[in-house]
Amino acid sequence: MGDIEAKTEKTVPTYCYNCVAGPDLLTVKVTGGVAVSIEPNYAATALDLPCGKPCVKAYGLIQKTYSPHRTLTPMKRTNPRKGVDQDPGFVPISWEEALDTITGKLTDIRACGMIDAQGLPRVAVTFGNGGTPASYMGTFPAFLAALGPVDFSFGSGQGVKCVHSEHLYGEYWHRAFTVSADTPLVNYIVSFGANVEVTGGVSAVARHAAARVRGVKRVHVEPHLSITGACSAQWIPIKPKTDAAFMFAMLHVLLFEHPRERLDVAYLRDRTASPYLIGPHGFYLRDAASRKPLVWDRRTDCAVVFDTPDVEPVLEGAFEVPVALEIGPDNYTWRHHGVGGTTEFTKLIDHLRPYTAQWAEKVCDVPAGTIRQVANQYLDEACVGQTIEIEGETLPLRPVAVTLGKTVNNGWGGYQCCWARTMLAVLVGALETPGGSVGTTVRINRPHENRLKSVKPGPDGFMYNALNPTDPERWVAQPTGRNAHRSLVPLVLNTGWSQSLGPVPLAWLFQRDKPEGWPEPTLPELWFVYRANPAVSFWDSRKLSETMARMPFVVCFAYTHDETNHMADILLPEATDLESLQLIRMGGTKFIEQFYEREGFVLRQPAVRPRGETRDFTWIATEFARRTGLMEAYLTKINRGAGIETPLVGNGYDFSLNPAKAPTVDEIWDAACKAATAGLSGGREVKDLAWFREHGFYTTEFRRLDWYLYPTMVKMGLRFELPYQERIMRSGLELENRLHEQGVHWWDEQLKEYAAFPAWDDLPGRWEKALVHAGKRPEDYPFWLLTTKSMQYTAGGNVGSQLMHEVSENVRGHAGVILNSKVAESMGIGADDLIEVCSQSASTCGRAILVRGIRPDTLLLVGQFDHWATPYAKDLNAPSLNTVSPMLLELVDATGSVADTVRVAIRKVGGKGIFARLRARSGRKPEQQKLGPAGVA
Amino acid sequence: MTRYVMVADLRRCVGCQTCTAACKVANATPPWVQWRWVLDVEYGEYPDVWRAFVPVGCQHCANPPCLEVCPSGTTWQRGDGIVAINYDRCIGCSYCAVACPYQARYKVDGAEYAYDGSPMEVERAREDPRRLGVSTKCDFCADRIDQGKSRGLIPGQDPEATPVCVNSCIANTLYFGDLKDPQSAVSRLLRENQSFRMHEELGTEPGFYYLWEKK
Repeated sequence: MGDIEAKTEKTVPTYCYNCVAGPDLLTVKVTGGVAVSIEPNYAATALDLPCGKPCVKAYGLIQKTYSPHRTLTPMKRTNPRKGVDQDPGFVPISWEEALDTITGKLTDIRACGMIDAQGLPRVAVTFGNGGTPASYMGTFPAFLAALGPVDFSFGSGQGVKCVHSEHLYGEYWHRAFTVSADTPLVNYIVSFGANVEVTGGVSAVARHAAARVRGVKRVHVEPHLSITGACSAQWIPIKPKTDAAFMFAMLHVLLFEHPRERLDVAYLRDRTASPYLIGPHGFYLRDAASRKPLVWDRRTDCAVVFDTPDVEPVLEGAFEVPVALEIGPDNYTWRHHGVGGTTEFTKLIDHLRPYTAQWAEKVCDVPAGTIRQVANQYLDEACVGQTIEIEGETLPLRPVAVTLGKTVNNGWGGYQCCWARTMLAVLVGALETPGGSVGTTVRINRPHENRLKSVKPGPDGFMYNALNPTDPERWVAQPTGRNAHRSLVPLVLNTGWSQSLGPVPLAWLFQRDKPEGWPEPTLPELWFVYRANPAVSFWDSRKLSETMARMPFVVCFAYTHDETNHMADILLPEATDLESLQLIRMGGTKFIEQFYEREGFVLRQPAVRPRGETRDFTWIATEFARRTGLMEAYLTKINRGAGIETPLVGNGYDFSLNPAKAPTVDEIWDAACKAATAGLSGGREVKDLAWFREHGFYTTEFRRLDWYLYPTMVKMGLRFELPYQERIMRSGLELENRLHEQGVHWWDEQLKEYAAFPAWDDLPGRWEKALVHAGKRPEDYPFWLLTTKSMQYTAGGNVGSQLMHEVSENVRGHAGVILNSKVAESMGIGADDLIEVCSQSASTCGRAILVRGIRPDTLLLVGQFDHWATPYAKDLNAPSLNTVSPMLLELVDATGSVADTVRVAIRKVGGKGIFARLRARSGRKPEQQKLGPAGVA
Repeated sequence: MTRYVMVADLRRCVGCQTCTAACKVANATPPWVQWRWVLDVEYGEYPDVWRAFVPVGCQHCANPPCLEVCPSGTTWQRGDGIVAINYDRCIGCSYCAVACPYQARYKVDGAEYAYDGSPMEVERAREDPRRLGVSTKCDFCADRIDQGKSRGLIPGQDPEATPVCVNSCIANTLYFGDLKDPQSAVSRLLRENQSFRMHEELGTEPGFYYLWEKK
């Protein structure tokens, strides 16, 4: 360290994007070249940007930088045998050797062709943490794009740890990859396990706190009293996986226990397909000439196409239509003369008729009166008929919302819950209107930066939604990725994020258990892993490790040794958060509660020198490109915006890089800074890298009106494709035809999900059936094991952080098994006893944490632990649901997701003494230095 | 006359421990020493159970029991109400820790590090031998307040003159300011809301108020 650096003190603006709720803006205080402190970025808080304060995770970045456990040089494996029980024998090597080895492999692969004989990519890539790696891996996406087709099938928790069904159905129905309450305006929220105080980021925490103070009521429905439950006005402990029944009963109350005019009849008539007529085969009755759907016109008392000028569609009823068509799967057409047609809305009423509050009481173990109370309050607070003026435009004000959490809308039941939630909004006109339920980003459709621009008029009066084709000519029979997303999941489409959102468990499952009639899946010849640890963060984690051990060549970008890179052949140490350079987007509407009145770009920049031999990711990507001879293609991709979030050429500006010359890291990001600001300001302002280094971020106004899709739908004359799912049903029938033509019947159960209206089908019973199929007795596994996220850890890749461990110990449940205190007493289990949690396939151990705020039939584990390789974390002795959750095809739903729960048994295996010894071994010292009398609460 | 106090709006707190972590980083406290932390407490019987998050730490009492028992004059009260510690005078007897009803005091006898018993670069850079073997606790970031005030900034209003836990709070639970200034945010909040102080029955007159409902 030079003398000047030793004496200097500086404050460096940068960002944290350690979870999907980022970026959080912050400043790093650097003294003598050492990062010593983290604070909010007060320039951003002055702009009223809640993201100007980082959450707890960011304060761990200093420890992350200086951790003695970091991998600081490239390493290679010396033990050719791979396995959990094998020492990899990692030894340091030079960057030259590491890069030559990797690019040599890539060059050989390219020479053979990027696609193998089975039609699968020879290179696979796994990124973790809900897309956060993109905010850290610089221009690596541009290199991958230049390389050619790669397989993103091997997930690290996608479909299990996210809100998967919401991603697919939400985006289909209202361009909502993530859905949020319009928190600044909402008055009543029914939250089914949506722990926004933990996973919604700084914006969610700040906005909901403000909402509580202004009197907003939130009802939290979840089997345990989570942090969001704690911060809610009412907690309803519901039986796991019965949320759909609760919502069906709410719909029933709205439809059967109140006059129709209490609903938003105009919204239903004009903005949804409720008046469309359904024929005897379950498909739209269509005009024979135009093939457009028909509605019954009150004015003329006859069936007319839905977009007839001055039409007054009738919402309810059944009508005789003289001539009409129905179009079924594979274009099969029925031509009707004198056919009965029933409106979607009437069919909806018929469908929901059995789902009374009394029926739901038995299913959910929640009193019918409570369900009615929630439904009635929801309707009372919906303010049907009220309006609000936003930026000069008058819009409906519907301040009610229903939000869904992870295990509620993943796996079986996801379709039911997403549909019911969306219908609860639709019935009162609260979908995409101020105060109601709003989508906050798109990932399957484009452009990602503005979901409103992804809306285009499509057939039948709806916005355009492409499904993966299921017709005989275009269906992709031969999977192009190992999770077969194009072949099995029409809703997931085939854009940049689609493969990662496909039926991710299948990629792992099929490697050890290929189903009948399905092509043999090969292993990728080279597997890249970054900011992901599927050996811990996915289900059946020990068996996944066995598959990873068979991967022929694995390259892991490694912060420390971990359970996945234990199987690596090469470890590459990248410069981390406080050491590296990247520009990303911020603001606008982006993930869960990250919708703002400003949008722009923020720079991550080196506050301190990279430690050891770590290298900036953009430098690594550029070296890959140079050494594989892909520099021109790589730079062309960058010029188009790959990896840098903005094209370098736009209207009135051109900062494109010369494809003939390898640029430096700074040159790439300097161009990105200029293009980003020129693009955002319409060419009025151009800020370079030096400007961003000083100021940190650049924003312009984002219209609040653009938080809502409703004005766009009105402007384009479009309807939400609800309530009836005619197209999804048709797509499922076609997919069934294709799969059966191939002799594939193992997806039949999933095909049943393609129903026009989702029905209740004993969702909890599916887990009991899985036990029976495994030769077990359900009564021997009486508990539902659930998991919940932790703000200190979620998606942070920081499980080895002492600071996070320390502060997380203040929040109950970390590193233990939460169970009901009365149940524990009846089983002779005391606080801190060591207990074993056994599923049909494995067991995990942890100390008993006894609470009153959990159902007697439920156990809860916080976070994802059970590490055996990651330094520090491996000594936490923390249990994990992932260890005991079997990965079973029968628990995968039609979208390819799995609910994060498993049936288990528990037994006491040791008293407090055993746990105290374990804790002592971990070096954990809670209460050690807190002096004085006990208890202040 | 100034009386600095902290106000915590319990309706807002989510127990995230961001204040805990921010305090630890800003003040470079050793592992497991938390001058600010948040309690996670539960009450009621299933199914009518409630859970609350309560930020705690030194309450900067007007009548501090810790000061009363200090035999060396280490603990002292500033004119602005902040209860401070003069490390150079502390003999490490821990009387203050025993006397404090709020578990606010810590004593660490030897250097302790986050990992493996040896210091990271940042820990080396921030080691303060004066804090070994003596009583430590929250001082409302007194140095920060003093430096800020010397630049004309207002504690509780300007972040550079406000305790880091308040600045860091993502729920806007924590407020800081002068109770004697009727225009300060803390005075306004206390006027508009119902509040309590912890263990008021002990007569300690804490300078830490908890809001729980509008008046």
